[in-house]
Amino acid sequence: WLPALQLLRHASKAVTRHWKAMNFQRQKLLAVTEYLAPRPAVPPRCLPRPTAQGHQEDGHAAVLRRQVQETLRGSRMVAVCQYNSMPDEDVVTLRHYLRKHDIHVKFVLNEIVRPVLAQSKYRNLLPLFVCRNILLVSPETRAREMLRVLKGVPQVNLLGACIDDTILSRQGVENFARLPPLEVSQGQTVAALSLLSSQTCSLLQRGPAHLTALLDQHIRQLQDVAGPTEPPPG
Amino acid sequence: PAGPGGVAVPRAGLKKLALPPDYSGITFPEKPKLKFMDKVPAVPKVRREPRRLRDIRGPSQVATDFTQGQYGILALGGGYLHWGHFEMIRLTIGRSIDPKSMFAVWRVPAPYKSVTRKSLGHRMGGGKGPIDHYVTAVKSGRLVVEVGGRCEFEEVRPFLARVAQKLPFPAVPVSRESLREMRREEEQKRLDNQNPWTFERVVASNMLGMRKYLSPYDLQLKGRYWGKFFLKHRV
Repeated sequence: WLPALQLLRHASKAVTRHWKAMNFQRQKLLAVTEYLAPRPAVPPRCLPRPTAQGHQEDGHAAVLRRQVQETLRGSRMVAVCQYNSMPDEDVVTLRHYLRKHDIHVKFVLNEIVRPVLAQSKYRNLLPLFVCRNILLVSPETRAREMLRVLKGVPQVNLLGACIDDTILSRQGVENFARLPPLEVSQGQTVAALSLLSSQTCSLLQRGPAHLTALLDQHIRQLQDVAGPTEPPPG
Repeated sequence: PAGPGGVAVPRAGLKKLALPPDYSGITFPEKPKLKFMDKVPAVPKVRREPRRLRDIRGPSQVATDFTQGQYGILALGGGYLHWGHFEMIRLTIGRSIDPKSMFAVWRVPAPYKSVTRKSLGHRMGGGKGPIDHYVTAVKSGRLVVEVGGRCEFEEVRPFLARVAQKLPFPAVPVSRESLREMRREEEQKRLDNQNPWTFERVVASNMLGMRKYLSPYDLQLKGRYWGKFFLKHRV
């Protein structure tokens, strides 16, 4: 199949350096056969945004998360403090003083702690974890010493604490520190409980004791009356 | 994140340590720099050859994929490369790459096609002119040079773009992934075209006698090529 020779006699070649003018029929054909993009029934901007897929689990973050979980599990007292930048030697001194009372200082990142707390039972501590913060964890509850040390450090402010599964605010921690130690309070409780039982014995003996006292009084009265009238023997 | 007063609270997150890129499967050629291309082939042509512009027309069948390197320059139109272009490419790329860690490879042959020119200012006639210079024909879709080595696409792209701009045909710097992406998008466009009328279909079945106004080559070129130009927007 060859095109009619008359068409090519006065035309330029097929391949030119300039843009060769197209036949009008060809232009119409190209206009008709253009690409039409598919239009979905629901435009993509009305659909919910696709969340970031393929979120690779960072090994470092997993390790830190596990560490936080273990510290939370193994400590009775967890205090959250706001931390403003301190000189390094002051940080070391603070760590030293708190370590003497067996309190560990931990720097935590909010983006790691928040998911850990949300899944554990410490859900209500979530609002405390904003800004730079440190955790003071301890297996014993020595609030008085902790408050004394923190009072001397103005850059660390106590926000709240969770002692023995009880969430306490700053006031609560101060009240808790003012409480007597456990043994003393235990002794007080035991004394209060055994107060009634200690009174049982005296209660039971109250009747005969009263009678004994009355009889004694009577004998004394009789002796007083009989004494001046009777001459002393001998 | 908003703080208590509605002010955004700045915070530092965990540093995500990304692994450095792995360049283990890369073999360097003996000479990392581009070879010098001759102006005239070793055996110069005696017989003057006809113009044969069909070596510019249509898509390229050779050198369309990567062999040694990871990045390259893709031609998006047809044209002739002469010795000046070759020198420009060789010197620019030689200046921009580090021969110890990167290499570059030619994907076009040295000029082989003789081009004749008549001397200026003479009337038509008097036979064909003598051979003036030699050129290489490049069709669209062909790789011109390939660059590889221990480097990223972002490092290579600036100077490849500068070279691509100076070529006589439109060209773009590509990497293996970007070329694959380009081909995939082209294929997807072809498949999800909502227009029931395609150039290919009209020409193949000669609808409305369209072949009177089209060339027999349009059966293969399918409306994507016009002369030496490659129409990128057409499906």
